[in-house]
Amino acid sequence: MIFGRKNRKPIVIPQKKVAEWKYSTCNYCSTGCAIEIGLGDDGKVVTSRGHAGADVNRGKLCIKGLLEHELFESPGRGTQPLMRDKFHHAFQPASWDQAMDKTADKIKEIQTKYGRDAFAVVSTGQLLTEEFYTLGKLVRGCIGTNNYDGNTTLCMASAVSGYKRSFGADGPPGCYGDFEHTECLMAFGSNLPEQHPIIYWRLKEAKEKRNFPLIVVDPRVTMLAQFADIHLPITPGTDCVLINSMLHVIFKEGLEDRAYLEAHTNNLSELEALVLDKRYDPIHAQHECGIDEDRIRTVARLYANAGAAMSIWTMGINQSTHGSDGVANINNLNLCTGNIGIPGGTSLSITGQCNAMGTREWSSCSGLPGYRVLENAEQRQEIADFWGIDPEFFPKKRGLTETDIFPAIETGEIKGLWLVATNPMTSMPNTPRIRKAMEKLEFLVVQDCYEDVETNQYSHVYLPASVWAEKEGCHTNTERRVNLVRNALPSYADSKPDFWIFNQMAKRFDNGHVIHFPDTPEGAFEEMKTLSVGSDRTLDISGMSYDKIEQARGIQWPYRASEEGRKGQQGLRGDPRLYTDGKFQTPNGKANLICVDFVNNNEQPCDEYPFWLNSGRVVEHFHTRTRTGKIGNCNKYSPTPYMEMNPDAAEELGIQHQQYVRLTSRRGDAVVMVQLTHRVARNAVFIPFHFHDCVNRLTLGLLDPYSRQPAFKQCSARIEKVDQQEAARLNAERRAF
Amino acid sequence: MNDQLKESILNTSNTVDVVEVFDPRDMTPVVKPEDAAAASHWEVRTQEQPYAFLSDKKVDEANRYGQKIDLVDLTGLPANRSMFINDNPEVGVNPNRNKQHGFFFTADNCIGCHACEAACSEKNENPAHLAFRSVGYVEGGSYPDYKRMNISMACNHCDNPVCLKGCPTRAYTKHAEYGAVLQDPETCFGCGYCTWVCPYNAPQLDPIKGQVSKCNMCVDRLEVGLKPSCVSACVGNALDFGVIENVPENREQAKTSIPGFPTPEITHPNIRFQQTRTMPDEMKRTDSMPLKYHKEEDGSYTPMVDQKKGKTKHWNVGRLSSRENPLVLFTLAMQAVMGAFALTFLGDQLHIDVLSQFKASSMYVPLLIVCLVIGGAGNFMSAMHLGKPHRFYRGFNNLRHSPMSREILGVAGFMSTLGLHILFSLPANDMFQSLYNGVIGSDIGDLIPMTTSATIATVFGYLCIAFTLFALYYMTRCYRIEARPFWNHYQVSTSFVGNLLSLGSLLGGGAVIATLALGGFDIQAALVICGALVTLGIALEGFGLVGHHRDMSKASHEGAASHYIQCTTFGKTYMLRNVLLSVNLLAALVLTSGVFGDAFSDSLALAGWGLVSVTLIGTCLVSRALFYVLVVPTTMPGAFFWKNKGFEEHARDIGLANMPQVGVVPNLH
Repeated sequence: MIFGRKNRKPIVIPQKKVAEWKYSTCNYCSTGCAIEIGLGDDGKVVTSRGHAGADVNRGKLCIKGLLEHELFESPGRGTQPLMRDKFHHAFQPASWDQAMDKTADKIKEIQTKYGRDAFAVVSTGQLLTEEFYTLGKLVRGCIGTNNYDGNTTLCMASAVSGYKRSFGADGPPGCYGDFEHTECLMAFGSNLPEQHPIIYWRLKEAKEKRNFPLIVVDPRVTMLAQFADIHLPITPGTDCVLINSMLHVIFKEGLEDRAYLEAHTNNLSELEALVLDKRYDPIHAQHECGIDEDRIRTVARLYANAGAAMSIWTMGINQSTHGSDGVANINNLNLCTGNIGIPGGTSLSITGQCNAMGTREWSSCSGLPGYRVLENAEQRQEIADFWGIDPEFFPKKRGLTETDIFPAIETGEIKGLWLVATNPMTSMPNTPRIRKAMEKLEFLVVQDCYEDVETNQYSHVYLPASVWAEKEGCHTNTERRVNLVRNALPSYADSKPDFWIFNQMAKRFDNGHVIHFPDTPEGAFEEMKTLSVGSDRTLDISGMSYDKIEQARGIQWPYRASEEGRKGQQGLRGDPRLYTDGKFQTPNGKANLICVDFVNNNEQPCDEYPFWLNSGRVVEHFHTRTRTGKIGNCNKYSPTPYMEMNPDAAEELGIQHQQYVRLTSRRGDAVVMVQLTHRVARNAVFIPFHFHDCVNRLTLGLLDPYSRQPAFKQCSARIEKVDQQEAARLNAERRAF
Repeated sequence: MNDQLKESILNTSNTVDVVEVFDPRDMTPVVKPEDAAAASHWEVRTQEQPYAFLSDKKVDEANRYGQKIDLVDLTGLPANRSMFINDNPEVGVNPNRNKQHGFFFTADNCIGCHACEAACSEKNENPAHLAFRSVGYVEGGSYPDYKRMNISMACNHCDNPVCLKGCPTRAYTKHAEYGAVLQDPETCFGCGYCTWVCPYNAPQLDPIKGQVSKCNMCVDRLEVGLKPSCVSACVGNALDFGVIENVPENREQAKTSIPGFPTPEITHPNIRFQQTRTMPDEMKRTDSMPLKYHKEEDGSYTPMVDQKKGKTKHWNVGRLSSRENPLVLFTLAMQAVMGAFALTFLGDQLHIDVLSQFKASSMYVPLLIVCLVIGGAGNFMSAMHLGKPHRFYRGFNNLRHSPMSREILGVAGFMSTLGLHILFSLPANDMFQSLYNGVIGSDIGDLIPMTTSATIATVFGYLCIAFTLFALYYMTRCYRIEARPFWNHYQVSTSFVGNLLSLGSLLGGGAVIATLALGGFDIQAALVICGALVTLGIALEGFGLVGHHRDMSKASHEGAASHYIQCTTFGKTYMLRNVLLSVNLLAALVLTSGVFGDAFSDSLALAGWGLVSVTLIGTCLVSRALFYVLVVPTTMPGAFFWKNKGFEEHARDIGLANMPQVGVVPNLH
């Protein structure tokens, strides 16, 4: 008998002896999952776990979050500041003082020689909110360049722009709880299972408790598309045509919520006139967007007739030439069906980076802190007074975005650049052009957790930053929930928190002695609270404190000090939804219906470049792999770049599964391994964007006119056979991690 | 959800009820959260959620195969035994701890997000190249009517744990607690045999540590009433866990198979599936295995060959070399020496003149010593092939179940009785007699009477023959593995016996003929006898290979996939081997039959046999290498990079494997 052994073997299972759990929020995407980091007796990280009592993730974590605590000591971390005179020289170690002095001197030198705006700062969505606020103070208040932006221009700018155009202000109006109430969900270019697994789980849970139809618009048969009740495999870039056509059906059949429209929106007749144009009759629209007329009508009726319907979207909308328009048009759809500010009815942009929201709210990239704008004299005055400086120091309108900063380096207008936690050498479209621009910089300072970040090839000063729970501060997630990262462990080697770096840099500028820079992130948070007070302001965090946030595992804004105690969860619940009263942040309080007339300016597949080139994320990697590429249990699922290609197309070209091919576009070339799958159309290919010297050597990235966000996802390419051994060698050489 | 759970979740001090829990699903836990929190095996998370708690509402009497689910009833073992997890003497608080548990996988829901794998690897501290749980997929249809089905698979803690039965060291235990099949890496010597016999690729051989480890069912969590880590981490609501045959809330099926899953008949695995979505008729694998799955009339899917590499034939001689090289040499060496001994010993016992002449000659003992050395070298290589060679002695620990233990016993018995036979044959050896006389100064007969030593030698000789049969039988049994259909064929027996005859007669016959020739005796009779045996051996091997070719060509299982690789990747090598084998058979037949009569002088005949010998050794090496390299196990489908043999090979070839985070172990030799 197999059970009968007398001497059972000992059972040994690794034990993590946790002496203390530290509260944290995940530092990867914007879902905002709460994590507890387990520290051993010696203060070293031994494990982590999802916080089961946090509303967002309820204990669940995705692959990246589960393994995130392994990143603190991963290879390539920066250990000390580095300096050199030319980017082709070798780096020399430096002290923090030397590195900061040199940086400050160079900034001043460039500004004196070429003008204040000749030095640019490009930040990120990865820092903590207090750090963003401090960086904003430093750049807007001390350095005084107007060419200051975040890499959020690559991911969320269109959502911001669309929200502002429709509702008068940024800020996703819905929440994850809406899944529990909606009767129809439409996802545009959003692949939750891969990009936001925990949000997907919330959706799945909601569907298991009470099923509702899921409509997915995506040119690729993603996991979400496969699980959808209705999948609309749209022609790339034509979402606005589909939405206009849906609106056409809705207005034509009288399915719109006219009472809501008349009470709470501007521009109704113009929109109605536009969408009722015969171009957007499904009979004609079907040829443009690739979705047959019957399907368009079915979906329009389903959406309009649902008691509550919601839309979510991600990069499929944002990263296109009609990104901002797409967002505004989704807002149109929801306004027309009365689906804003009600449980289960919303326009919920699924954000990308962990703190894209934080940078939108507080970094001053696109204006001034707390959703204030440079164009408003009153708001300039307000901030100048609060900081104690002359309002004339501020520019009167917003400067260049990240995507315009690089062309300005190209043209010589910008001579110096400070990159904070971003890697444009991999992440920007058309990287051959970016590389050329980088070479022209007189001074580049790179501030990053990783010394081996590719952009560091061109830097003159490298500042090693601390990462995640080596620091303390807040994130804001997709549903406006402010959540806390507690400092769990000391900084790695001689790296420093970004907060400290900005504070120290401020001391080297005149206004740095005028403006108060609190010593702790919590001190900065208190300043932000003060700046957020205002009864009309949606972004009001004045009722929050670090302790309250931790106690509630995140609080959504608005959460006003004046209203403390009025809500559930022992008084710690912020507003789950915005615009519940139909009052918007526009001058007349009504939402704007935006007329989006679609003009197709995308690079289209042609004889020379016959394939649509699409790019996107995979679940195991984040951004440019500087973190996940070094964590084996993440990286092993895609350690090298690949391309999804349709087997029928491959057959014609004589290309086989797992062979290498060379892609060319009008910009450059790339070598990838082919994965044959019917997930993509015959005239389309998909390549993950995480890999250095890969898909972004090919992408065009036409800019959205409103958001200046690049259209990463629509351009064309050609596929060529290559010598397999040469390609394999090249592939191995290009993978430093 | 029940109030008790809610209460206890809320009752943690200094926290706020932020999760609004309202759920139509009844997820009443089997262990009260406060009891779970008080138990010492695992620290329950603050405000742990209902999904993490085991929630069995019933326990069936028996599973669908008729086996009792209550393992105390089944085994008669006492209930309430401690499992001594990490030496913790406390008995778990789970009331169902003596019931057979198993995974439940809703294939409709898996999104392939790797959360289960990550949670498992984090908890078990596994490096990138190892995983107790892996997700692969099959896909089918054409754009946009395309479906991918992800499959997350770990150990199925089978009713019939073939790993436990196969393991020669008894590293495995099937516990009456949860029916968990657990393995102790500290007992394991890294032979990897469990990884051969498991149809699901559950045991993981770590080539760096040189030992196997596997899924431990998270028994520490089970003891406090929590589901395993992978299940608790599942983001698609695909993985679940509970007492076997129970269907979780909101699920309606409990199938035993899905496309890509090997037949449950081999081991009666404790896993159940739900898969209600209609899948395309043909589901393909993205990994390099030339297999796909085809829908049958009853809706089930059976494997069939997927001609991924076309039909072009290649040589790929270099690829014949694998980590199983030591086994190629070991098996051939053992078969050769066993054959050589049987020929010379039994030939004499059967009073075949030439063989008796040889036995009586002074060359008999040296031949056997050569055999002993060759056998010893083979055994040494086989032991060094273990992950932990210094633990080789543990190979006998599982004689009760393991064919491998028995093979090891047989080989060890053969080697020792051969040694003793040699020892007691020494007194009859001329050279030894004079040596003994010269060194000791007395007659060997004074030490032991000639007849006594001869009798003892004969007894050991027969024992050695008995061990030969025993070892050879279990050597073949070792490869008759249901999870490896390419091996599970009578061709194993015909090849092993055939090689014993051909190589044994070559080695033994060579010695006999050389001895006779040097002694000026007529070698014709010896040539005929040995030649006939060589011919018979080649014929037997050839016969098996023809049958194997026929059966694998007709089959549609993993064996057919192996055969497809044989005919394409190694197509030219395979053809050459077949041609050489046939020509060799013909040549041996011609030489043996003496059809050319006197036209062939002895020297010409010897030259002919020399050529046959070289060819024979060559074909044997190629055949045996193919045997090991080609086998395709009935394993789960892999993904594009992870668990894809094709990519692993490529990553080693181009040096990507040198980065540990690629998750592929580089070639270690």
